[in-house]
Amino acid sequence: MAKAAARGDAAAFTKLVRLHEGSIRRFLRRLTRGDGADDLAQEVFLKAWRMSGHWRQEGSYKSWLMGIAWKSFLDLQREEGRRSARERVSFNATLPPHTDANARIDLGAALADLPERERAVALLCFGEGYSHGEAAEIMGLPLGTLKSIAARAKAALAARLEAA
Amino acid sequence: MTVDEALDARLSAMFAEPDPAPDEAFVARVHRAVLAEQRIAAMRRAQWRRFAVEALASATMIAVFWLLGRLGPLKMELGEGLASPATTAALILGLWFMVELRPAATER
Repeated sequence: MAKAAARGDAAAFTKLVRLHEGSIRRFLRRLTRGDGADDLAQEVFLKAWRMSGHWRQEGSYKSWLMGIAWKSFLDLQREEGRRSARERVSFNATLPPHTDANARIDLGAALADLPERERAVALLCFGEGYSHGEAAEIMGLPLGTLKSIAARAKAALAARLEAA
Repeated sequence: MTVDEALDARLSAMFAEPDPAPDEAFVARVHRAVLAEQRIAAMRRAQWRRFAVEALASATMIAVFWLLGRLGPLKMELGEGLASPATTAALILGLWFMVELRPAATER
């Protein structure tokens, strides 16, 4: 399907959208304030459509989309100006409904306190199940850097969970 | 299971979310945007093609005028020549305007 989309087949691309929209929107909802996450997700898919021919067919198509989503999020941040790293983000509504309320609140607050890169690494590795190598590829970071960020994110999350 | 693995498992479980059914409204929204992009790209290609054709036609006209300017008056068998290359140029211009005024060319 990705090859067909690269050749300009809009129907094939729509199938790819249907397959991956849940993951991309979930990632962006958790990464952003929640407002405008769907608009950003649409922009991600449009960028993917325009860049279809650039997909190198290395790794999964979903990973490639996640990379575009991360870069789009960074672009949005730059456009909106620098925000405080400690900006409170409402994650409660975006966390899975089946977790217990205490865990949801603790995790939401913990994620809100993380800087953007640590939040993204936590979402990719724990939320989406990517390995460190895959997450490094998505975020365009060296593996060592990604591992450092992941370790910091995990330590911060663990500290918050223990404190709760 | 080590403490670290247990923490990883706990965090993964907290983040885990069942995959919902595809949101067809969102899929349709993206599909419409993709179709709009296709139409815009097609229009852009058509405009570039038209520009290339008109640029080539203009360059041809300039070359024709330049060549005519290097020619003397043309003489016909009866010894009468056309008044000047300008007459020939006007004839060519007239033909060009007829081409430009064809129905497809007026739909801009």
